[in-house]
Amino acid sequence: MLEEFMSLLLLSLLLGSLYSMMGLGITMTFKIVRFANFAHAELVTIGAYVSVMMINMLGGGVVGAAVCSFLASALLALAMDELVYKPMAKRGASALYLLTASIGVGLFVRYVLSIFADIYGMLCVQSKRMPTRIAELAGADVTDLHVWVIATLIGIVTLLHLMLTRTKLGKAMRATACNFELAQASGIDTDLVRRVTWIIAGGLAGLAGMFWSIYAPINPEVGWRYLLWAFAASILGGMTSFYGTIAAGIIGGLAEVFGITLANRLFGVSLSYRWMISFIIVIVVLLVNPRGLAAIRLEALREWLKAPRLPRLPKLKLSARRG
Amino acid sequence: MTILPLIISIFTFFGLYLILSISFNLEFGYAGQPNFGKVLLYAIGATCAGRLVATIIMLYLGADVPFFSALAADMRLRWGAENPLATVGLFVLALVLAMVVGGLVGYVLSYPTLRLKGDFLAIVMICAGEVFRIFLKTYEPLVGGPFGLSGVPGPFSFVGDPNLKEALYMSLVLLIAFGCYLFAQKLVNSPYGRLLKSVRDDELAANVLGKKVVRVKAEILVIGSAMAALAGALYAFYVRGVFAEDFVPMVTFTAVTMTMLGGLANNRGVLVGCLLLTLFDRFTRASFFNMLGITVAFDISYIRYAVMGLLIILIVMFKPKGLMPEEPVRTPAIEIAKEELSK
Repeated sequence: MLEEFMSLLLLSLLLGSLYSMMGLGITMTFKIVRFANFAHAELVTIGAYVSVMMINMLGGGVVGAAVCSFLASALLALAMDELVYKPMAKRGASALYLLTASIGVGLFVRYVLSIFADIYGMLCVQSKRMPTRIAELAGADVTDLHVWVIATLIGIVTLLHLMLTRTKLGKAMRATACNFELAQASGIDTDLVRRVTWIIAGGLAGLAGMFWSIYAPINPEVGWRYLLWAFAASILGGMTSFYGTIAAGIIGGLAEVFGITLANRLFGVSLSYRWMISFIIVIVVLLVNPRGLAAIRLEALREWLKAPRLPRLPKLKLSARRG
Repeated sequence: MTILPLIISIFTFFGLYLILSISFNLEFGYAGQPNFGKVLLYAIGATCAGRLVATIIMLYLGADVPFFSALAADMRLRWGAENPLATVGLFVLALVLAMVVGGLVGYVLSYPTLRLKGDFLAIVMICAGEVFRIFLKTYEPLVGGPFGLSGVPGPFSFVGDPNLKEALYMSLVLLIAFGCYLFAQKLVNSPYGRLLKSVRDDELAANVLGKKVVRVKAEILVIGSAMAALAGALYAFYVRGVFAEDFVPMVTFTAVTMTMLGGLANNRGVLVGCLLLTLFDRFTRASFFNMLGITVAFDISYIRYAVMGLLIILIVMFKPKGLMPEEPVRTPAIEIAKEELSK
């Protein structure tokens, strides 16, 4: 029982961290470029393929593969923006048109990749580097992949936090996210901010793809299949908050693994329904409270806890008579 | 493979996608509601029609064979060939049921349009379509889960010659599609068309003028969804079955591309866009390439999807208004305005 619980917990943390990593990029581009980028899926896929090629063909190590995936996806993201999104945004395209364009970009990249993957017989490949067991926690296997993924996520969060709060560029990014016109008017190089955003968003997607290729066999659809999990993380996190996105990614992972296992044990629900959880998260959050986790105000809670407890005053009746 | 079945399949698909694109154009082009969940209604129409016909035939036959087996499918098809009148009746009943259910779902879908706009509405609609596809694929009692439901006899099952049968069905689909086109043209070239455009352009202003925006959104989604479900039902009779894997988001994106290529808020443009894209779609299939004797080292369909993606990008970037831009609503009011101006 404990053993199973631990292995499920480890799996959900792994998946949740990967969803957070993908969702962070979506949140970043949404905050600064202001549209929901459906081609984010392809950045993940490219990262996964580059890392498999690095490890299987060139015999590189994990670190080398990570660097290459980061660079490849970042470059692709930058190219997408320079060629498609930026010219459109300059002409004043609406967010919906940008989203439609990103669907087109996604289709194009995915199927061009598929053509090459088919020619070279890589439609379904597995990385030669497999997760290896390094420890045992209450009977469940802890692999090096778990450690890396969680450590990378913590590293990313720390770096992003430091960058956004301590550096000039980070402050410029926050300013651009807050008010684009004002940022431009105050002399911030918004084009530079935009490029940095795409590099970080693409790079994180590439890293997530790299880890995914070690976790499971990949195909050209891998990013697209998990895109809506990433969207679920980003939307549940409120589409604007980094910390919300990370929390929401982990919540998504837990909901996927534990939710479906519990439903399967208690009600005999088929395990294939786990795909539906992400979609349902997206629909429910957007319809009930589009601000997601960002709607929870931690300050309010803190104030409420700190507030001195006074005896309650009797209620005043104001509405009874008028005039 | 000869040329005749290819032409028949081109025009059948043209009819199906014309209905889908016109319904998308009504919702997005005219009323400004980006219903990117077209495939949801398409799947619902197919499911309703296929399941209804199969269930009724099985109840009538009363045979004790598993519902989704190949044997049962064969029995249903043979029954369809032997009872032409009953099959046509079932066909009409199935279309009506699909439209009613589609309309009801469309009414439910109008709830998100009240709370969300633009890209978020599109995300919710895409998700809704995917939820239904996964449900169909997983929940076996409805349409057989991953195996699908086959053996749904079409209205022309009694015709022996397969080419003639398909050609008759093609004409029927084209006739219905043309009916939808005329209906859409009548609908939008009326004061109601102006009302739809007012909701698209400025909801607040329409509200201030006393137009019931909420009701208009619900009405147009009911109409569009019923049309999409009709297309789905026709599709189920065309492939003689319901298979969950047919209802991928690509169906929606194809209809969106057709609409945007032709021109938003211009039904004639949609007609052109639909024809162009269907021709492209059919001529980049493996069967056509085999006919020409060309073989490539990869799956041909990848080229189709990649070019479709490129086409979406190019349209959105360079011709966001489509090949045929929007036209003014043709009602007597515009003639009067022209006369007034020419004085």
